[in-house]
Amino acid sequence: MDLNNNQQPVGENYSHPEICFFHVLFKAASLAFYILSALFFNNFVIIFVVTVLLAALDFWVVKNVSGRILVGLRWWNEIDDNGESVWRFECLDQESMARMNKKDSWLFWWTLYLTAILWIFLGIFSLIRFQADYCLVVGVCLTLSIANIIGFTRCHKDAKKQLQQFAAQTFAGQVSSRISSAFSVV
Amino acid sequence: MSVKHEERDTAPLHPSSQSDIDDLEILINSPPYPSSVLPAQPPPPPPTIPISTTTSSPPLLKSTPPTKSTVPSNSSRVVGGGGGGFGSAPNTLTEPVWDTVKRDLSRIVSNLKLVVFPNPFREDPGKALRDWDLWGPFFFIVFLGLTLSWSASVRKSEVFAVAFALLATGAIILTLNVSLLGGHIIFFQSLSLLGYCLFPITLGAIICMLKDSIIIKIVVVCVTLAWSAWAAYPFISTAVSPRRKALALYPVFLMYVSVGFLIIAID
Repeated sequence: MDLNNNQQPVGENYSHPEICFFHVLFKAASLAFYILSALFFNNFVIIFVVTVLLAALDFWVVKNVSGRILVGLRWWNEIDDNGESVWRFECLDQESMARMNKKDSWLFWWTLYLTAILWIFLGIFSLIRFQADYCLVVGVCLTLSIANIIGFTRCHKDAKKQLQQFAAQTFAGQVSSRISSAFSVV
Repeated sequence: MSVKHEERDTAPLHPSSQSDIDDLEILINSPPYPSSVLPAQPPPPPPTIPISTTTSSPPLLKSTPPTKSTVPSNSSRVVGGGGGGFGSAPNTLTEPVWDTVKRDLSRIVSNLKLVVFPNPFREDPGKALRDWDLWGPFFFIVFLGLTLSWSASVRKSEVFAVAFALLATGAIILTLNVSLLGGHIIFFQSLSLLGYCLFPITLGAIICMLKDSIIIKIVVVCVTLAWSAWAAYPFISTAVSPRRKALALYPVFLMYVSVGFLIIAID
């Protein structure tokens, strides 16, 4: 399989700039609002609502939009007919995955982890300053951010495993079909 | 598979509760699949893998179209378990963004309908809110905190923080309570349900903020409390075994009553 033939050269640009923009926008906006609002006005309610709303929007965008468009992965939880909770991990097929823009996925993963790290730092700061209410804000944002990290990391592992399994299956299938065809010829 | 679920499965049950379990299993298993009256529930996104030669996705296939034909069996490959007999459902992994938005909005509306028009005599209440989402709880908790902090005359931010923390931890503790009682409910489903059931109380809080008369406030809070409890009742009562119903329902009611007191006594 010459999957990497029509790959983007290293210097190529993002293939989904608008999705990348929104992927970064809400993360940056929630962080920036949280940091800057303390300087300009000191109204906890507004800070809380706007920051958490932006973080929730970011959670939704990453989970439902940018995840599947930038890296071709998606995770969600559903409840099956027996009332059991099932975690579903979806990925594109091998060929589409290989065609994913490298820059897109690089941006996706780095901003995903960087946001959580920044929130952890902000949480440590608010702990040092004994601001329990601001810890609440950071806690909510950090929870949302980490939920996406866990979801997508597991999804990524699952996708790799599926690809390996699929490769093994197709190989075995080809071999068996060849053997059977050989037998049918005989 | 979630860890929580396994914990719940292995939760030690008293031997005498075996009959309860049997009852519950009968309860759960008795309704055959076609009898489920899932109210306006969109089908869950089918976990199918797209054929890579599909051209229905402009954002994904902006680069050169694939020249190689893929293996046909690729299309039916399913990641992460069966698709639940949905047949050739449309693939949602490459859908336009707008479709995702519309699907999620319709899910929120259908979940909200379950709470606004509660029907305890629904044939299969346990299956309701199966398509859980956390937007409802998030918005209602924030709205409730906002209205409480607006109607508070002093220390608005503390009121908001306390209300948010109370509601969020309350929902988590109640969910833990239900699952520790051996309830057949998923953590997020329960969180979603308890949050959506805050909707009537949120309405009541808004009305109380606008009206100043204490009698009207008490009446409104009582009505909305009953409404919320009425909405939460079918879900919780089917989740746990009949003998432990009261144990699961009582804390839920207690939390709603305390929120009601908060609304009345806020100024």
